[in-house]
Amino acid sequence: MMTRRWFLRGSAVVMAGIGAAPSWLARAAEGARGKRKILVAIFQRGAADSLNVVIPFSEKRYYELRPNIGIPGPGGQRGDTAGPNGPNAIDLDGQFGLHPQLEPLKALWDKKQLAIVEATGSPDPTRSHFDAQDYMESGTPGKTAGDGWLNRALPPVGPQTSPLRAIAMGSQLPRTLRGDRPAIAVNDMQTFQVGSEDTASILETMYSNSPDLRLEKTGKDAFAAMKMIKQITQGPYNPGGNAQYFQGGELGRNLQQVARLIKADVGVEAAFAEVGGWDHHGNEPAQLTNLLRQFGLALSAFAQDMGDRMEDIVLVTMSEFGRTAQENGDNGTDHGHGGLMMVLGGPVRGGKVYGRWPGLAHEQLYEGRDLAVTTDFRAVLGELVTGHLAQSDIGQVFPGFEKRESLGLLRS
Amino acid sequence: MRLLRLTIVSVTFLAAGFLFTGNGSGRFDTKLSPDQQILQALNRLTFGPRPGDPDEVRRLGIEKWVDLQLHPDRIPENPVLEGKVKPLETLHMTPAEILREYPSTPPGFMQMSMRPNDVVPSDVMRKLTTGTLEERLAVLKPLDPEKRRQALALVSPQAFSCMPELQKEAETARQAQNEERQKEFRRRMPPLNELLNQDQVAAAMRGNQEQLTALFAYLDPVKRQQVAAALPPQSLAEFAEMRRQGMMLRQPQQIITNDLREGKVFRALYTNRQLEEVLVDFWFNHFNVYEAKNSERPVLASFERDAIRPHVLGHFHDLLLATARHPAMLYYLDNWESMAPDALDIGPLAAPAGALRQPQRQPRGLNENYGRELMELHTLGVNGGYTQQDVIAVARAFSGWTIRKPNTAPEFVFAGFMHDTEEKVVLGHKLPNNGEQDGLQVIDILAHHPSTAKFISRKLAQRFVADDPPQSLVDRMAETFTKTDGDLRAVLQTMFNSTEFLSEGAWQAKMKSPLEMVVSSVRAMGADVTDTWALAQKVADLGEPLYGKVEPTGYPNTGDGWLNTAGIMGRMTFANSLASGQIAGVKLKQQDWEGKDPAAIARQLLGHDASVQTREALEKGLEGKEPSSRLVAGLVISSPDFQRR
Repeated sequence: MMTRRWFLRGSAVVMAGIGAAPSWLARAAEGARGKRKILVAIFQRGAADSLNVVIPFSEKRYYELRPNIGIPGPGGQRGDTAGPNGPNAIDLDGQFGLHPQLEPLKALWDKKQLAIVEATGSPDPTRSHFDAQDYMESGTPGKTAGDGWLNRALPPVGPQTSPLRAIAMGSQLPRTLRGDRPAIAVNDMQTFQVGSEDTASILETMYSNSPDLRLEKTGKDAFAAMKMIKQITQGPYNPGGNAQYFQGGELGRNLQQVARLIKADVGVEAAFAEVGGWDHHGNEPAQLTNLLRQFGLALSAFAQDMGDRMEDIVLVTMSEFGRTAQENGDNGTDHGHGGLMMVLGGPVRGGKVYGRWPGLAHEQLYEGRDLAVTTDFRAVLGELVTGHLAQSDIGQVFPGFEKRESLGLLRS
Repeated sequence: MRLLRLTIVSVTFLAAGFLFTGNGSGRFDTKLSPDQQILQALNRLTFGPRPGDPDEVRRLGIEKWVDLQLHPDRIPENPVLEGKVKPLETLHMTPAEILREYPSTPPGFMQMSMRPNDVVPSDVMRKLTTGTLEERLAVLKPLDPEKRRQALALVSPQAFSCMPELQKEAETARQAQNEERQKEFRRRMPPLNELLNQDQVAAAMRGNQEQLTALFAYLDPVKRQQVAAALPPQSLAEFAEMRRQGMMLRQPQQIITNDLREGKVFRALYTNRQLEEVLVDFWFNHFNVYEAKNSERPVLASFERDAIRPHVLGHFHDLLLATARHPAMLYYLDNWESMAPDALDIGPLAAPAGALRQPQRQPRGLNENYGRELMELHTLGVNGGYTQQDVIAVARAFSGWTIRKPNTAPEFVFAGFMHDTEEKVVLGHKLPNNGEQDGLQVIDILAHHPSTAKFISRKLAQRFVADDPPQSLVDRMAETFTKTDGDLRAVLQTMFNSTEFLSEGAWQAKMKSPLEMVVSSVRAMGADVTDTWALAQKVADLGEPLYGKVEPTGYPNTGDGWLNTAGIMGRMTFANSLASGQIAGVKLKQQDWEGKDPAAIARQLLGHDASVQTREALEKGLEGKEPSSRLVAGLVISSPDFQRR
């Protein structure tokens, strides 16, 4: 494997050949010597059923609410009844357990790299997927902003800024990353290029001079990114730590690309990947089993691949809201309120479930039906933004949000 | 703008001037020039102008042409289209026919995955999965070796995690079963190198069209189909019939999806009733159904053909009701399973007391999914003034709206025993509590609600005028909607006749969706298309897999969703492969461009002059290079100018 410095020197030479002034690259090389902190955000679209992702198995009430879809506790216990009944949850702390398919994450929990924040969510009561996603991605509950929290969390463009500083894997740029700071969407790095050099250069001129300001900006970002990605994807990629991304489905494929970019030291500061299909109104157990297997394998492959570099990385997962505490008539769950977030990385004070658990008794549930929210999602993201990305102006990232006490998610 | 017009003399510069500011920045009261009005009408009511279309509109006059498009039955259909979509036979079949002829496992295939009930009774299966070691051994004992093997192979490996005795045996049984399946699979679908000699394999994998044609002609029908099944679909991009036969052997239901996608692209390319097709795309997307959530595939062609298409210029109420009752929607938003919580607490259907888990998945209660999306996405809009209580009441009203004969001949039925008979209040209206009438009344309330008139009008204006359409236009459309009992043709008339529609504010204000981008470029090039499989694939590559939107929102109606680096790169790549003749099934007519300079080629493809910047980039970049007209066409279709309509 080539060393970072070798790569930077080598690519700077080739870049000069392409004609773009590679001055930023020299600066990126400068910057790479210091540690660059990276925040990776994962959005689970469709409202993941947090109560079956991390199981509150010590609550008898959980099994009363979910007689058919509840996951047995680590000892096979189901509230007041005991006995083996399908795969059991994996014990985390005697109160909560991971869904059996999340077994690959247990090692990260044991290494204290993985933390769970329970009963997180938005103060806004909407049960609309689309509003809730917009609010969460905007970082402004109750209203949709034009830009996203992760875009605002990045420092303004400076001499160290790389065209690949903020990258979303997929064919669309998610609201989370939209905004003033350049952010790009890449579906597949291998095919992120266009025609011959002549063609590319004419199109680059066309877009850079276009009077259509939005297309001009997008085009410029695309060509800048294309040049770098061309360099990065020249050789084959060999993930470290024997990481097996291919079992992780689409998320695995996307996290592999994120890992490749991070390891190429091209100045990534924020990355975004999403995984859909969590809206389980019916036949939930079979579907969730599939999704979570891929989800767990994708995250663990990423951590394995990154190895020591996890010291610079924090990854956070979120979903627009949770689902009803009680199962519905179709072995599924309907739209609810509180959910959970996972925080993974070297700087994380892991191996612990954070957040106040509100309980599942009828009067403890939000509107008598959903897990209540005791931790605002902005409190979690806010800590990562200030503690990891060193963005001190939290009011700019989450306008109007008043932070109360710190959760202490990160080692300081 | 006026100042600019005075200072710029050249007519070509004038067109560029519009592009400068033409992204919906006010000026919805300033009319476009007559030539621009024609292009504007074509860009909004069709999937993009073909060479000659502007002349046709000019000949008829915009008003008359728009009126014709609003009455598609008065337009003779393009005779070419029928021949193109005829082979896509699932588009013309009923769900029952599709289910019979396109089963989920290939016809004649050994029952590869046995259902537990076919092997042993359910109580045996339950004990085997969850019993104590003694119980499990006891139920296994009376089984003959074959049954014992089959039963063990069915149980999930984790279920034996603390019983090493059984675990090993189950593992062996599972392996044996897998090997058997693979053998059968191989017998039915031998790999290419067992079917063909080395030279033939080379011809099949890397040969040109003639070589493949010769090879297929040489093979007997059985082998031909097996070869087709063994080849990747890309290799068969020009061989629609072989692709179909091969898929029949592998995955018959994939053909249904392919037919839908290929049919959509063919219609968009060829129909003379362009507005109707644009509207079918719009309303399908509004009432989005994902092709692969439950059992939507066999009923999806019917959904578009029977529930959407007949109503796109009719009354909104009828469109809404047709979608509410269609098995595709009933599956997709789970209403087919929704029932009163105690509906099955009857006779032998009742769950045994104290049973913690039902042995099999069985729906037993209300499902809110349809009730919520019906109000949020189909009618009122998220801020349309409904509450969680309304969502539940609507779900109750529709309980019992389900599907008769789901596995053989799915069709709507109201099942009274599933209906919730408790009192329901929806948006302040008390429902009659009269079975099926409850749901019908809800459709009525929602179709006539003022929020619906506003929500639908705004969404239409967003599709046809600008991402952020002027409120006054939306208000006038909503007024027509209310006055005419939701007559969608009248609402469209109000919009098309408005000043805003043909105004500078609307000029080039819309970013093309991937489908619009792909179809408009093929139409602009005047290419003939014999096969749309590859084109549909390109639409998917650009982020819009047709019939493949998982979420009920449908695809974005505005530019924000499509404007990003991945999209731009994808569009450029598509443009280059299209113009260089690399997309299977697309036959370019080149002679039109030979000898023309880049600016003329650009004018032909865009329908107007390219922006100054685009022309300069072309001129400078191609100086002294004698570029082929293909290269120039690819650059024009890649240009910022072509991404808007």
